[in-house]
Amino acid sequence: MMIELGGVCKRFGRRQAVDGLDLSVPAGEIFGLLGHNGAGKSTAIGMMLGQVWPDAGQVRLLGHDVFSDRYRALEKVGAIFETPAFYDYLSGWRNLEILSSFSAPTPRQRIYEVIEWVGLKGREHHLVRTYSHGMRTRLALAQALLPNPSLLILDEPGDGLDPEGIHEMRHTILRLRRELGLTLLLSSHLLSEVEQLCTRIAVLHQGRKVFEGSLKEAREHGGWWRLRTPDFNRAVAVLREAGFIHDARDGEAVRLAPPATSDQVVRHLVNAGIAVCEIAPEERSLENFYLALMHRERAAGAKAD
Amino acid sequence: MLYHPFRSELWKLFGKKRTYIGFAMFLLAQNAISLGFKFTTATAQIERVLNQNGYLGETFITAPTIAVIMMVMIAIFLLPLYSALVGGDFVAKESEDGTLRMILCRPISRWRLLTVKWLAGCVFSALLVLALGGLGLLSARLWFPWGGLFVFAPEQSIFSVFNTQDGFARYLLAQVFLIPEAVTIMTLAFMFSCFNIKPAAATILAMSVVLISFILQHIPYFRDYHNWILTYHLNIWVYIFEETIPWWRIGQSLSLLVGFNATFFMIGATVFHLRDIKS
Repeated sequence: MMIELGGVCKRFGRRQAVDGLDLSVPAGEIFGLLGHNGAGKSTAIGMMLGQVWPDAGQVRLLGHDVFSDRYRALEKVGAIFETPAFYDYLSGWRNLEILSSFSAPTPRQRIYEVIEWVGLKGREHHLVRTYSHGMRTRLALAQALLPNPSLLILDEPGDGLDPEGIHEMRHTILRLRRELGLTLLLSSHLLSEVEQLCTRIAVLHQGRKVFEGSLKEAREHGGWWRLRTPDFNRAVAVLREAGFIHDARDGEAVRLAPPATSDQVVRHLVNAGIAVCEIAPEERSLENFYLALMHRERAAGAKAD
Repeated sequence: MLYHPFRSELWKLFGKKRTYIGFAMFLLAQNAISLGFKFTTATAQIERVLNQNGYLGETFITAPTIAVIMMVMIAIFLLPLYSALVGGDFVAKESEDGTLRMILCRPISRWRLLTVKWLAGCVFSALLVLALGGLGLLSARLWFPWGGLFVFAPEQSIFSVFNTQDGFARYLLAQVFLIPEAVTIMTLAFMFSCFNIKPAAATILAMSVVLISFILQHIPYFRDYHNWILTYHLNIWVYIFEETIPWWRIGQSLSLLVGFNATFFMIGATVFHLRDIKS
């Protein structure tokens, strides 16, 4: 496992920022961390990087405990934050030398390679204060790649970027995985980006993990199936009577009641003399899934209050 | 293991313009004071004091004498300010700018990071003192001849005259013993800088401690408690100008300054270690 969080809790004053968070990210994944502002994403990332002390639980990166074996846990980890900060009065090259010196001495050749990889060649000796937002993002990527990482943590990397910048960022993330074989943890508000990039996601709400799974599972989450039949209302009545469905909507969708399966539903309808033209899991966009999940959590919270 | 991060801290420190404020102000202040001595009757008063004590006054109105007079005042007021300014920046400014978070993604431990920052602060403090001494002597030499040294420090009961060679040697040695003052004030500001506060607040807090200590030191009723007062130990460099250097007194204050510095560093480091670093 590249990232393992076990029962991690963190409270700031009266606010529970992270509450019993468990998370596992295996090697080779692009893992998305989703949630509203204040959901606990940045606090969780802060704990992964040893910048925020957890009140309870364990945080391991690359198999090493971040707090008791910081060097080995972070030796091969790079990170980029939403607003990367640099020493603006120094050149890009000097910034890279400085930031890499806190990991291990980095040969000049390695710095050249990384500068070329991120596309900053020719501007590396200019002062950072003269860099555009896009160039600063590339410099941030360069500093993260210098220690030759196995794991890259990206905290809201698309914030503040224009559409072209977001496109470039997406392209870069895919290159990182394809060319360098990195595992990536991506925290983002941009659901469309997460949908295009990530293999698995976790959703945080008020410090708690409310979903973890593959994108496919997220899209199917909720158990809704598209059912096309000549008499939808009768089909619904028959299935309800048999206890196979919880709900129906729009004259074309039913929500199965576990442990009912699609083949049981089809068999039952056919036996009842109702033809089935199509039955398939209803795939929702990540945005729809996310909004539904948040709505459900808020409703549950209101009920608990 | 500390070399590369230490070098990086020096690059950061000496890459910023505000690091040089102290050096520039010393140059301006010392030239202004030298001109003041040259074009007013201030030197006549020095001559009178010397003449009244049986010396040939005008032979001691020299560059070293003027440089020491300037050094006394600047060491009390300007040196603490610029040491505190840089010390207060070390952690708080990086925290404010967000670069601290970039550094702490790296495997370096917080203790090690603070150690290299403090060492860089010591280098700065030493250079600031050497600039104070060097620029003072240069400024004074523009308007006054080279020669013997006269030092009058009533508070420490010092009234000394030295020939050219001895005077210069004492002047150089005094610079060395002024470094602990700059380092201590830098460390005090560094300690406040480790708290979750703005860099200006760290500088102001450090200067407040120094000034309160200075005030306490000069209230006669607290004379019995001098050993507890920080500024009482900061002026050890003045004792270098006593005819016979009181090494016991200097050693006593130096050992206490080591204790003060260790305490400031440990408090700062402990607070910093326990802090959550967030955006």
